[in-house]
Amino acid sequence: MTHIAEHTSRAVVPRETLWGELIHKEDWWAIWIGLGLIVVAAALFVDGGTLKWIAVAPLRWSQPTQVATQLREHWTQYTALLVLWAVLFGIGASGLRIKLTQFLPAFVVLYVAALGLYFLGQWNQAAHYNLEPPLVALALGLLLSNTVALPQWLSSGLRVELYIKTGIVLLGASLPLTLIAWAGPVAILQASIISLVTFAAIYYTSKRLGLDPRLAAVLGTGGAVCGVSGAIAVAGAVGAKKEHVSIAISLVVLWAIVMIFALPLISRDLGLSTGVAGAWIGTSEFADAAGLAAAQTYGGYAGNVPGIAGSADAAVNAFTLMKVIGRDVWIGVWAFVLSIVAISRWESTGVRTKAGAGEIWRRLPKFVLGFLLASVVITLVTRGYSYADYKKSVLPGLVAPLQVFRVWALTFAFLSIGLTTRIRDFAAIGTRPFYAFTVGVVINVILGFILSTQVFGAFWTRLGQ
Amino acid sequence: MSTSEPRCQSCRHFTRAAAELEALLPGLRTLSSAYAAVRSGDGLCSVHDRYVAAYSHCAAHAQQRPSQSAELTG
Repeated sequence: MTHIAEHTSRAVVPRETLWGELIHKEDWWAIWIGLGLIVVAAALFVDGGTLKWIAVAPLRWSQPTQVATQLREHWTQYTALLVLWAVLFGIGASGLRIKLTQFLPAFVVLYVAALGLYFLGQWNQAAHYNLEPPLVALALGLLLSNTVALPQWLSSGLRVELYIKTGIVLLGASLPLTLIAWAGPVAILQASIISLVTFAAIYYTSKRLGLDPRLAAVLGTGGAVCGVSGAIAVAGAVGAKKEHVSIAISLVVLWAIVMIFALPLISRDLGLSTGVAGAWIGTSEFADAAGLAAAQTYGGYAGNVPGIAGSADAAVNAFTLMKVIGRDVWIGVWAFVLSIVAISRWESTGVRTKAGAGEIWRRLPKFVLGFLLASVVITLVTRGYSYADYKKSVLPGLVAPLQVFRVWALTFAFLSIGLTTRIRDFAAIGTRPFYAFTVGVVINVILGFILSTQVFGAFWTRLGQ
Repeated sequence: MSTSEPRCQSCRHFTRAAAELEALLPGLRTLSSAYAAVRSGDGLCSVHDRYVAAYSHCAAHAQQRPSQSAELTG
């Protein structure tokens, strides 16, 4: 604890009970669900089995009759997969105190919509018509949620963060620990540069425009570190006004959705490789869910759009390294530092608080631990295999089913983003916050592009190969 | 160190339940969530109209009713 804080408060921060934390936070449910699937898959694989049967996914098609044939031949697998997801996410929702009577029907609707999107993405003309599933999911969801009154019960199943965090934990199974150790330092360096510059740009522009320093800090963290999650973490740490939180939420969501469409399309026009584009998206998107939608869209161009080099997975891998390892894990540090500044430098609010290093752990996005553990599990299970054996048995028997689970989880999230974005609910942003945040966005996008394509371009290109 | 000052988390003016927070802050669940670990135990103070940490405190503290304490987590 700091000297300053000791003068401000003598109170001891009460500990959240460990049990309460483990069952009432979705980060932990993402770990239980994602890591649970990985451990079961690994145990089966070691025993000569596989989860391949239930990890069903649509195959490439060109005629609608082929879709009907696939559904007829695999309906039991699709039904079993629905039951598996409903049970896993249903238990998670129950832990979060979401009514199962509302969650389960909503989830069935979400699953059916995700199945349709998954099939759409496998159409051999999808890339030609820009019908990448994440973009279609978002556009469709935005259209529906802003033109039709969706039933209240449906919103119970639209848990963007639960699905996206589960997808990120599952993604850890595709990234060997050696790759994370090799690329992590570069990701952290690039992310640190962009985070500091973007935060400074938004914070000082806000100050020059006469905005409250707490609002400036909340906007700055939202733009520089981790979108809405970063903004609310810092808002709590510094005691921001409720309207500050609402303004930050509206600005981050607005710009994040613009970037979901803009970054992949600009990258495509510039012919960036998947690794480089993924790094740029990881540097310049504001939220994990939005960034993964953009990165997966770009990964879908690999092999389908002429001139896009790199593997399909490279975009998502580079994005995750940059965003999750480079930016997300530092939320607690930002909250800790800014809480000290708030206590020592800014006008008192009447609410006294304290700044302690415990903030760093309390605000750590815990799902990152699941992502790293997933990588450890797969690295341990697959050690000793030659590259040829890996391609022949490990990839199809262990990693590929987990990749299929990941795509499903992410598709649930992409649909949920659009369906929960109601433009009429946005807070009145005001010209000055909009201007300050937008300055940060412009600087972030330009600097992110330079860092990803020029300064570290060769590194990200190599990662993509 | 003293533990005598009651914290916001036990105040009746403090809203901490995740579902309520998501209702009070529209858009929160679009790209984040009140169930996220980064939120820790933060909530909304209706006296100061601020979003504050659960371990904060102030002079306007009002002990919550027993029935409220069961709804705090989340």
